[in-house]
Amino acid sequence: MKHFTKWAAAAAMALAGTAVAAEGIYAPNLSYRTGPFAATGIPLMNGQADYINMLNARDGGIGGVMIDFDECETGYSTQKGVECYEKTKGKAVVTQPWSTGITLQVLPKTNVDQIPILAPGYGFSPMSDGKTFSWAFNAPAGYWDAASMIVQYLEGMGDLNGKKIAFLHLDHPYGKEPIPVFEALAAAKGFEFLPIPVGLKEMQNQSAQWLQIRRERPDNVVMWGWGAMNAGAITEAVKTKYPMENFIGVWWSGHNADLAIVGEKGKGYKSISWSFPNMDAPVMADIQKYIVAEGKTKSNETEMQGVFYGRGIVISAILAEGIRVAQAEYGVGEISAEQLRWGLENLNFTAERIDELGLTGMMLPFSTSCSNHTGHSGGWMLEWDGEKFVKVSDHLKADVASYAALAGEKAAEYAAANAPWPMNDGC
Amino acid sequence: MLRDIFITPFVDMWTAPDFLMQVLWEGLVSGILYALIALGFVLIFRSSRIFNFAQGIMVVFAALTLVGLYAMGVPAWICVILTLGVMFLLAVAIERVVLRPLVGQPDIILFMATIGVTLFLIGFGEIIFGGENKVMITEELGIPTDSYLLEPFGGLLILEQKDITAVAVAAMLVVGLLVFLNRTRMGRAIRALGDDHQAALSVGISLQTIWVLVWFIAGIIALVTGIAWGARAGVSFALEVIAYKALPVLMLGGLESIAGAIIGGLMIGMLEKLFEIYWGQPLLGGNTETWFAFVLALIVLLFRPQGLFGERIIERV
Repeated sequence: MKHFTKWAAAAAMALAGTAVAAEGIYAPNLSYRTGPFAATGIPLMNGQADYINMLNARDGGIGGVMIDFDECETGYSTQKGVECYEKTKGKAVVTQPWSTGITLQVLPKTNVDQIPILAPGYGFSPMSDGKTFSWAFNAPAGYWDAASMIVQYLEGMGDLNGKKIAFLHLDHPYGKEPIPVFEALAAAKGFEFLPIPVGLKEMQNQSAQWLQIRRERPDNVVMWGWGAMNAGAITEAVKTKYPMENFIGVWWSGHNADLAIVGEKGKGYKSISWSFPNMDAPVMADIQKYIVAEGKTKSNETEMQGVFYGRGIVISAILAEGIRVAQAEYGVGEISAEQLRWGLENLNFTAERIDELGLTGMMLPFSTSCSNHTGHSGGWMLEWDGEKFVKVSDHLKADVASYAALAGEKAAEYAAANAPWPMNDGC
Repeated sequence: MLRDIFITPFVDMWTAPDFLMQVLWEGLVSGILYALIALGFVLIFRSSRIFNFAQGIMVVFAALTLVGLYAMGVPAWICVILTLGVMFLLAVAIERVVLRPLVGQPDIILFMATIGVTLFLIGFGEIIFGGENKVMITEELGIPTDSYLLEPFGGLLILEQKDITAVAVAAMLVVGLLVFLNRTRMGRAIRALGDDHQAALSVGISLQTIWVLVWFIAGIIALVTGIAWGARAGVSFALEVIAYKALPVLMLGGLESIAGAIIGGLMIGMLEKLFEIYWGQPLLGGNTETWFAFVLALIVLLFRPQGLFGERIIERV
């Protein structure tokens, strides 16, 4: 009943929204539409913006309050990202840093400024520990979840004992993020783990890395690439005749445009993903009607069918749901950053709710809590069929328990290194 | 440890000669492309004493123009001609708008101006073409994309036809450039300007014409480099960072020497690949290509501050 009352209050506010003369909720996005990583950023940013703009056009915002979805361009540079954070933090209810490097830099600042970080599927994996990182959220899944799911999928193909898995990764905080979990899994399951770093200047010329792969003959290559690194790796894999069915990328290495460069030759390449593009989902029809038909999108037909555009929509849907939950809880339209923090901590994406939002088939159910800021939705294994990505697995779930202790340990290490660090002892 | 440094790498080379050949081939391909980028720097520096920071973005801009025109339905080879036209207009614009007003200013001002050109081209390029990764029109230009699979010493050597084409075209471009600089009137004018500005001007060589010419030649080099690199992993603004690989080539070969740029590029391409594969990956965890070329260049500078082929500057006091 209490829950119903909150939703009713939110609905009432929605009706009265225009009379309240709302100024809008300022939700900036630290975008990267330029620079070496723009290929990854553009479809994601377009999906994010189109979803929020659709809500503004279709529903008059959320709870009757328009969303001021601003972009501050970082070019994926940590320095520019921090500048964008400082520039937008004054009236922002959320910060979306879009890079593990930027996330790590603004993490201590958000404690002081009391602004929630929303980093869906990226950032520092121990952020799942809500007791330590009360202002940071990486729902619906973190990098350690991805590592666990990939190993689980490979194990499903056969015993990993005695096998060799090469880890081709960007030599950047993002690329190094899952290494502790892969090392722990290698020790537990008896496979050899071989990290192969790719420098920023070598992203488009990875011949040395693929010569090493040819020499080492790994059973599988797992890639943690971003931006131009993905296309560089995929073309080298084709060139060196590496069997594509043994090549798996994290969710940021599953971009249609990168695979389109090799087309049929990339057939069999896989990518773990917590989102999937579903052109038949009702939300796509609404975006078509309110945004595309009105000429308000920066995207195009091909991009909108891709994995990254769909993921951008899911990311904004997570933010929008956090805003709705907070509005319902506090009975106000123009929520504060602190109230949004509560909203993001109480997300409950059930299968029914996903359908209600028109996101059927695009994401998996998950919920967050005070102590669990990741949600651990799990994901699907996608495979490139020569033209597009298709699902080749059922719902995969990370074995969170296997690295829970490590997450706690790393969170404690981080808090000690940044002492005095505020803990949310109420969790 | 000493064994890993002094014996194991050579044993590996001896026992797997096909793999060594593959490493050297990959180094050669990278090296010739580094050399091409370095040539763009050298040409402009020789004729104007300007260190052209914009060379990297010119590679991106030329490649994006090519694929952008093709996306508009223009036939591939017409796109090449039109792109050359765009690069010529860019050279004229840079000379008129950026360089001409700064004649006589200190070198650092001209260098800063090329940074301005870089930033302008990044913004302008992103507005016109967008930042997405684009597919190079390799096959449309008639560049073969299959591979030759050879079996030397019973092993495997993969030679990509587009890499062979890139090496051949780059070699032809270098030869053509050398002939142009040494055998033509305009080429000699460029060299004269590089040797002594005042003397060259006094015999009627037009500074403006030569500057447009060298920036246009740098544009041609940028287009060839853009096609070769773009064919490997697509065309995006990430290509710009490849220009930084030319810096150690210039340090090694000297800023004024065309032969230095070519030999320096080939040396760095092959040595960094050999070091990475046989020493870097087994002993240092890999990714040594990020710094190896700079360390090599610094070592050379310790003994030859003007680079291997640079001119020794003697100033009389």
